[in-house]
Amino acid sequence: MAGEKWGMVIDVDKCIGCQACVVACQAENNIPINTEDLYNQRRAVQWIRIERYWEGEFPDVKARFIPVLCQHCSDAPCEPVCPVFATYHNPEGLNVQVYNRCIGTRFCANNCPYHVRFFNFWEPSWPESLKNQLNPDVTVRSRGIMEKCTFCIQRIRRSTRDAKAEGRGVEDGARELNPACVNACPTDTLFFGDLNDPDSKVARMSAEETGEHGRGYHMLEELGTEPNVLYLKKVDKNAKEASHA
Amino acid sequence: MDLTRRKFLTLLGGSTAGAVLFQACGVPEAELLVEAPLEMPEDMVTGLDTWYATLCSECGNPEGIVVRVMEGRAKKVEGNVDYPINQGKHSARCEAALQGLYHPDRISAPLLRVGARGEGRWEEISWTDAIARMAHQLGQVQDKSSIVLATNPVGGHLGKVVERFASRMGIAHMPYETLDETNLRLSMERTYGLKAMPDFDIGGASYLLSFGADFLSTWGSPVRYARAYGQFRQGDRERGTHVHVEPRLSTTAANADEWVFVNPGWEGHVALAIANVIVERGLGDSSAAAALTGNGAVDLGRYAPERVADRSGVSAERIRRIADEFAGHPPALAIGGGSAGAHSNGLANLNAIYALNHLVGSAGKPGGVIPNPGPPFSDVPEAPARTSYADWRGLTGRMSRGEVSALLVRGANPVYGMPKVTGFEDALLGGRFNVPLIVSFASFMDDTTALADLVLPENHGLEDWGSDVPDPGPGYQAVGIRQPVVRPFFEGRGVHLGARSFADALMGIAQTMEVDLGLEGESFEDVLQAGARELFETGRGSVRANDFRAFWNGALQRGGWWDTTAAYSGPSLSPRQIASAPGEPSLGSGAFALVPYPSIGITDGRGAHLPWLQATQDPITTASWQTWVEINAKRAEEMDVREGDVIRLTASNGRSIEALAYPHPGISPDVVAVPMGQGHTGGGQYDKDRGANVMSLLDSLEDSETGALAWAATRVNIAKTGGWMRVPRFENTAPDLATDEDQHIIKLTAEDS
Repeated sequence: MAGEKWGMVIDVDKCIGCQACVVACQAENNIPINTEDLYNQRRAVQWIRIERYWEGEFPDVKARFIPVLCQHCSDAPCEPVCPVFATYHNPEGLNVQVYNRCIGTRFCANNCPYHVRFFNFWEPSWPESLKNQLNPDVTVRSRGIMEKCTFCIQRIRRSTRDAKAEGRGVEDGARELNPACVNACPTDTLFFGDLNDPDSKVARMSAEETGEHGRGYHMLEELGTEPNVLYLKKVDKNAKEASHA
Repeated sequence: MDLTRRKFLTLLGGSTAGAVLFQACGVPEAELLVEAPLEMPEDMVTGLDTWYATLCSECGNPEGIVVRVMEGRAKKVEGNVDYPINQGKHSARCEAALQGLYHPDRISAPLLRVGARGEGRWEEISWTDAIARMAHQLGQVQDKSSIVLATNPVGGHLGKVVERFASRMGIAHMPYETLDETNLRLSMERTYGLKAMPDFDIGGASYLLSFGADFLSTWGSPVRYARAYGQFRQGDRERGTHVHVEPRLSTTAANADEWVFVNPGWEGHVALAIANVIVERGLGDSSAAAALTGNGAVDLGRYAPERVADRSGVSAERIRRIADEFAGHPPALAIGGGSAGAHSNGLANLNAIYALNHLVGSAGKPGGVIPNPGPPFSDVPEAPARTSYADWRGLTGRMSRGEVSALLVRGANPVYGMPKVTGFEDALLGGRFNVPLIVSFASFMDDTTALADLVLPENHGLEDWGSDVPDPGPGYQAVGIRQPVVRPFFEGRGVHLGARSFADALMGIAQTMEVDLGLEGESFEDVLQAGARELFETGRGSVRANDFRAFWNGALQRGGWWDTTAAYSGPSLSPRQIASAPGEPSLGSGAFALVPYPSIGITDGRGAHLPWLQATQDPITTASWQTWVEINAKRAEEMDVREGDVIRLTASNGRSIEALAYPHPGISPDVVAVPMGQGHTGGGQYDKDRGANVMSLLDSLEDSETGALAWAATRVNIAKTGGWMRVPRFENTAPDLATDEDQHIIKLTAEDS
């Protein structure tokens, strides 16, 4: 089998909407503070976000949560439209954004059906003292650059390098390998690993859950983007195999 | 060899020379290969990191965390996998501790007020000067009991130091919480005979019935509960069923299989109606039923579902069905708290709810209520001391009569949390300088600190020592140890300025005043080590070593000490007669019931200075940075209220606040809900004068028995002010994607695979 293919499994039945993944991602990836102004300009950046959907009306009402992040599509609509090859598919199955190449055409964001690509409309800024917290492994993206979820590639790189130096493989589900959101999630909604390794948790879950009685589905799968993020259906005893768009 | 840059590059050019040079520097050849320029920029890995275990400092019930430190700076917080409470998980609040550490508004030296109180003019003074001034002023007070030390509820060894300081100095210690837990704590004592909070085995339960407690977002030990909830949903066992009873659709209600709307204050009646059905049909433990009712002395018939249905708003049929399910799916667990206990009948409500566990045999059993053993220390209290709202109302009276000579505050913000109608702030400031001295130990300006005469800056939790006996614990003895993971950020300001540990500051004051605290050693670290020595001498638990040094290092490395075999060994949790059946709640007057709720990020306001927490979306509304009013969408339409309309909420006591309307379909037409945490009159760039403080308009209602603040009992009238402001929210920031009718973002299944 050729190399790794990183993927994620998200069990929607466990997601409680607590936002731990969102803030973990902000901290790990040097995402600028989403100020009130940025929210109001609709320019808040959240590489992973929790969407909330209403169903019904009081008193028969449900609010349902789902984490949405870059689906790292195998057939990614964002990739072919980049005129400068800033967004490309790397050999490990990651949809990667090369900041140094990006010229900010925003074609990719326009073409992404999941709305998980974010444009830096402003130069990111932090009060001087808060810069002490910035993660040295992650570039701060400047104005005019597109950015998105990387599956915390810096963690993948660091843990693979460390494993290599110690002459071992990277352990499936290792804390140092997992993206920040996966480690944070208090309910274990998120799983990360190598889909090419048949023994990995995500590969086993994918195999089980995409079967006839499985709960697995891909978001907007009718678009044929072949995402590497597998969602597991929410269990609702009264469900009629459907919900909201 | 004189190695210039040019020479270096020349040498590097020749590959053999380069290799030799690097060999000489001790860099293995493999490193050079990894850093090859052919790799993409995202492949770069720089520097070495170290992870240190410590405790989170942002919540009331600290999680064990590990902090990534690079070149002396803290970079990232993650959960400590070993720590029994959270087992590697953490919340958004833990993460934001970093922003507290490097916050631009952190106070970096003792401040002396130079203008009028609250004017905000300060002068930096040295620690020696500050402590001398304080010691002098406190020394002059004849009746030392007129000095009040108000802290957050502090446990562990800090709790010990604070208690010792208060008792040896002869001053009054009054722990303060915005949402006081008096009722919950008393309920544990009355229902189970427990002083410390028990653990709720959510992961082991099959059926979970919760009342009011938003345990998945802010109530109790949310990370622990959320972790267990994941097990409850998709663990090794069959998927559990969760029914949540609350007047508001909270995060917990949204996650439940069934949300039951209840009129505020009637939760206890619903619980007793469920008990009534269980007893009547003989579904539960009959001996427990006899004990709970005192062999029939308490007439549960008064709480027959039909009698309760109208006023509680829960139909008799529904109550019967829930009772059937609750009794029919062992192990079943009932949890109550939050708004269910924040009424004039709050304690009785909680007692009724927790009594349900006796009826279905879940008290003291797996999948139910697991009692916690006492701490493994000889002189650390089982649970931190607490006071009720009534105590604070009493203090307000004493202050206005000039009977309080000094108020020392730490980790408490009563000026913010006390309902305005109580008159706390007026009593504190008063025309006649009622309280001659106000000292605040704080890292940041807040509403109370802004009024202080002297501010003594505290070390951040990540720069400090400490310990915590988790409360609630994990069902066995556990101790968390806090260690400094970085050197103090203000170290560069010298020994006379900068921040200090609160415990060390107290010890310094006592020393200056020549009061012997009878503590082991000179510093807080010594006190902590003496405590650790006690653990070492037990010779059991997760850390064992031949000598104390090794033990201490081991405990610091793992973030604490725990002994999974040291479970509760006290008397069994036998059912007691329900002492006081819940009477009718006394509510304020107004067209809408007001449900204030702690925000998921900034909670009761303690995290409002941290931008990450301010920016954290509320799960239900997706709003942030502001104060909004959740109002039923249809009702809003009738009232011609649109999202962003500025609404004035007025309580019957005359106080009002203004907040932005957020209509949604998930709230009762008779209820409005407002998040807590904004509207600070003192603070910094991220929290001051932002939004409105919902606590300020509350009626001065309290539990008739315990004096706890009935913060969910106020009713309000609402009116449009004519103003409009955009609600900063994430919802609909991206346009909807046109998809096929039958394609859904969240797919559902009735099957549990």
